[in-house]
Amino acid sequence: MNEKFFKTLLGVAVLGLIIGTGGLINFLVYGKSTLALGSYIPWGLWVALYTFFLGLTAGAFLVTILTYVFRIKIFSGIGPLSAFTVVVTIIAEMLIITLDIGHPLRIYRMFTAPNFKSMIFWMGLFTLAMLIIYILETYYLLREEIIHWSQDPGIKNRKVYQSMALGRTAYTEEDRQQDHRRVRLLSLISIPVGLFFYGSNGAVFAVLLNRPIWNSTLTPLLFIISALVSGGALIVLLTFMFKRDDAVIHLLARTIRFLLVVMLILEFLHFFISYQWDVLYIVTALDLILYGHYWWNFWFVHLVLGSLVPLYLMIRYHDNARVLAWACFLIVFTFIAFRLSFVIPDQAVYKLEGLQMSYFHERLRTTYVPNLTEWLVAVWVISLGLLAFLLGTRWLPVIQAGRGEEEHV
Amino acid sequence: MARDLPQEDPLIRMQRDLKRALKKKPTDIKWGMVIDIAKCIGCHACTIGCVAENKLPPGVVYRVVLEEETGHYPFVGRRFVPRPCLHCQNPPCTKACPVTATWKTEQGAVIVDYNKCIGCRYCLVACPYAARTSDFGEWYTAETAELPGKLYGQKAAANGYEAHPAAEYGQKWPDRNGGSPVGNARKCHFCLHRLKVGMLPACTTSCIGRATIFGDRTDPHSLVYEMIGSPRVYVLKEELGTRPSVYYLK
Repeated sequence: MNEKFFKTLLGVAVLGLIIGTGGLINFLVYGKSTLALGSYIPWGLWVALYTFFLGLTAGAFLVTILTYVFRIKIFSGIGPLSAFTVVVTIIAEMLIITLDIGHPLRIYRMFTAPNFKSMIFWMGLFTLAMLIIYILETYYLLREEIIHWSQDPGIKNRKVYQSMALGRTAYTEEDRQQDHRRVRLLSLISIPVGLFFYGSNGAVFAVLLNRPIWNSTLTPLLFIISALVSGGALIVLLTFMFKRDDAVIHLLARTIRFLLVVMLILEFLHFFISYQWDVLYIVTALDLILYGHYWWNFWFVHLVLGSLVPLYLMIRYHDNARVLAWACFLIVFTFIAFRLSFVIPDQAVYKLEGLQMSYFHERLRTTYVPNLTEWLVAVWVISLGLLAFLLGTRWLPVIQAGRGEEEHV
Repeated sequence: MARDLPQEDPLIRMQRDLKRALKKKPTDIKWGMVIDIAKCIGCHACTIGCVAENKLPPGVVYRVVLEEETGHYPFVGRRFVPRPCLHCQNPPCTKACPVTATWKTEQGAVIVDYNKCIGCRYCLVACPYAARTSDFGEWYTAETAELPGKLYGQKAAANGYEAHPAAEYGQKWPDRNGGSPVGNARKCHFCLHRLKVGMLPACTTSCIGRATIFGDRTDPHSLVYEMIGSPRVYVLKEELGTRPSVYYLK
């Protein structure tokens, strides 16, 4: 990535942090009363953002598995970058969901008093497992370069790298072989853990009775596929920006194109089957997505801008890395619209007839528009993630470690 | 005729039933409620009684009265369906809670431990009856101007009602400045704190039409047991298999 573009992105991240801090302070001082959420729509923008980050982890997950388990050499150069991306996006995901809950300091109770029947417990467990796996994997992928940096007089803050090297001053061939075995083992473990991670996130929604859009066996599958689409698109974008490799971009874009078509078919089936029920509350929830106040979110942002336009670009310009990167940018950028149209409308239907007339309060309504505080905190978390990622690519040998990885693979 | 015109106020009988139930081993009691739709006049006294009893803040409500319209013009009707927590025998909410902060007691009431709840609101999403609400930490008196003196202004107004500690679950919950139950999921608990001292739930005593019947549904001599045996009985959303402990009479 050229310096000018890097600095521009850095500026955007810092600006986002500054702007978002206002919302964050407001939220931390005045608490949950500053949010537009209510009891009938208790999950809003931040939960949608959580599922958005979840999706972004998936592409990197796919790439590391293809590289280190299936030994597909073409992706080897972006292996460390992908593993690092998973770490950053999972941390951002955990941060936004921690802010969303009413008593964040009690979150440890998920593990001290777990309810094994709860899908949120499994989601939390697999999220933590994925984070640990990918922190270790990133570390072992970067260790060689970290040790080199810790010994390089030309590197600033060598002491930090020396502490990260855990006292090692040299990196032998034996170490290299050992780290490669560790990375492969971690990648192998991450396959079942990752599938349960994405599946359990889908299951959080799918197991709920009386939730017509969520309560479907297609939901976990749709979560996995859509995550791969958005996450894969992110990797294409990052590869284009940080480590331009046209062959990798073309191959990944072909995969995303296929997955995007599968996702759209699954989505169509989801709607088609649900409409066939012809039950009032189901049809109402579906109609809200297609014809409600935010119809443009589904039709224009998600379907046209986030699916059909990228699909057209990826078919028409399948050998143009720049256009493919733009197509992937559109997918990533509009993916939050897809998540919002999944998370909100199902809650936006009164579950009992007459509920709307029973007790009047703004938090007992099925209308929800994220307020300024929610948007600002969302901007803050996204900016923090972007900043951590950008600084990570400079302060950690994420890009450098990709060199020569082909031999490793 | 005797069945249609009770010889005594149902409240007196329920009070007697309750005393009898409390003499039983706690594990032998199964609380239940029957709401006679034909007797509900939609006065919302039960809602207000509940709000006052539990010092519920703005946006938090345990028992609402639904207004349903029936039939087609010109043959239309209207009925009122009070909806507390249905205390399901197969509750979706307790399965959803990731930290076991909500569970069904051995007496059949579904309760929340405010000090354990992390406030993820998954139980709110999981409840098919929308019977849970989240406490966002609001005050009725938030917009009231503060004035000097002890009789007027925000502080005095708050002290007059909402700063009083709620007695839910037999504890005092005075802190409405961030600590529990602010940030928690809240719900009807069959007024367990009242039952403990031999008092019927606030919604039952405040029902002017005597439409709400409460008691031990395993006691064959209780009014609630008798009502559950009525051919008019039904439960909300039976198809979901949640098996509510709150029954309705058509």
